[in-house]
Amino acid sequence: MDELEFRRRVYANPDTTDQDVVAAATADPAKMAFWQEQKQLNRALADTARIDVPPDLAHRLIWQQSANEFVRQRKRNKWYVALAASVAFAIGLSITLLPQQSVSLGNEALVHMQYAETEQAHSVLPVDLAQINAKLAGFGASFTDMIGDVKVANYCHLQSVRSLHLIMRTSQGTVSVFIVPPRDDVDLPAQFADERYHGQAVNMQRANIMVVGDKHADLAPVMEKVRRSMRFSA
Amino acid sequence: MFRRNNSSDKQVLSDMKQKQQRYEALVHAFHADIYRYAFWLVKDKSVAEDIVQETFLRAWRSLDSLKDEQAAKAWLITILRRENARRFERKQLDTTELDNELVADDTASSDASLRERDLHRLLGGLSEEYREPLVMQLIFGFTGEEIATQLQLNKNTVMTRLFRARNQIRDALQRQDNQRGRQNG
Repeated sequence: MDELEFRRRVYANPDTTDQDVVAAATADPAKMAFWQEQKQLNRALADTARIDVPPDLAHRLIWQQSANEFVRQRKRNKWYVALAASVAFAIGLSITLLPQQSVSLGNEALVHMQYAETEQAHSVLPVDLAQINAKLAGFGASFTDMIGDVKVANYCHLQSVRSLHLIMRTSQGTVSVFIVPPRDDVDLPAQFADERYHGQAVNMQRANIMVVGDKHADLAPVMEKVRRSMRFSA
Repeated sequence: MFRRNNSSDKQVLSDMKQKQQRYEALVHAFHADIYRYAFWLVKDKSVAEDIVQETFLRAWRSLDSLKDEQAAKAWLITILRRENARRFERKQLDTTELDNELVADDTASSDASLRERDLHRLLGGLSEEYREPLVMQLIFGFTGEEIATQLQLNKNTVMTRLFRARNQIRDALQRQDNQRGRQNG
């Protein structure tokens, strides 16, 4: 092995154990001296390269990892909470905004007939026209004259629609008249009935009128009377 | 159903614990040499520390991809080098190099510490292409082949660079010794 090659090999790795490098050094004291010198220099260099490490570095690395993980975990949780909140919000929004199933007032009116059965007059005096008109004013309506013997005039809620419920004594038995403000989402059938009662409804200018009476009662006269008497203010 | 969830939760927890233990073992085994390597790469202690922190953070995130514990050292070096390259791209514009730290302060106290200081300065003064393979050899004890793999160079190139690096240091030391000899004599 020539001088240059020997030096190249030793410089490249002073700690080499290559057989031919060892053989060349053993055969030539000058080469051996050079090699020893390089080994020594290399040890010094290695010592220099091994600079002091900050004593708490390992702990800081472990700490920063767990702190980082904690923050990430929290972010992830926040993300879940945010998602849950948006879902809840979307559900709330769609419940509010989606068109509701239209409700049938007929059935509601029939249910209220039960109440008409048990309802007692609040006063021994019959309800007069002024009292009824006072209550009708809220619908922008009034009666020109009395429609009959009205026992009770009360507000009630048909499917959350505030309505006026008049209970009348007629030749056909007790008959209820409902005056309901018109609403888009409310379905008004012309005829409706159950085992005990039946009813009719008409759509007037600014209110729906429903007349409900006993199954066999003739409701036409009352309906006719209401339609003729009702006036709407401008 | 609940029991199964429960046990899978426990599984996740024990996986986490295992990962944590693995991470801590990795930190203890390699942080010192990785820090030293980072220092010689950037020649600044606080920057080196930042890079090491970032390196171990990334190592944690992809710890599952480290299948072979034997390869951990090389794996960490790869992450660190990538991290350093990233830092370099970011800092391309503000170029206040800190070589001074290595050059300055030559007030000799003893011969041993003078020698040590010289070597420190000379090692830091090597250009990066010579310094990096040499430091890999000095700190990690890598063979030429391992360095070649790590730096994606051919083995002969690595051997040449190692040769030139040591040659430069030796020449510089000799020149310096001659100069000091002349000053003293």
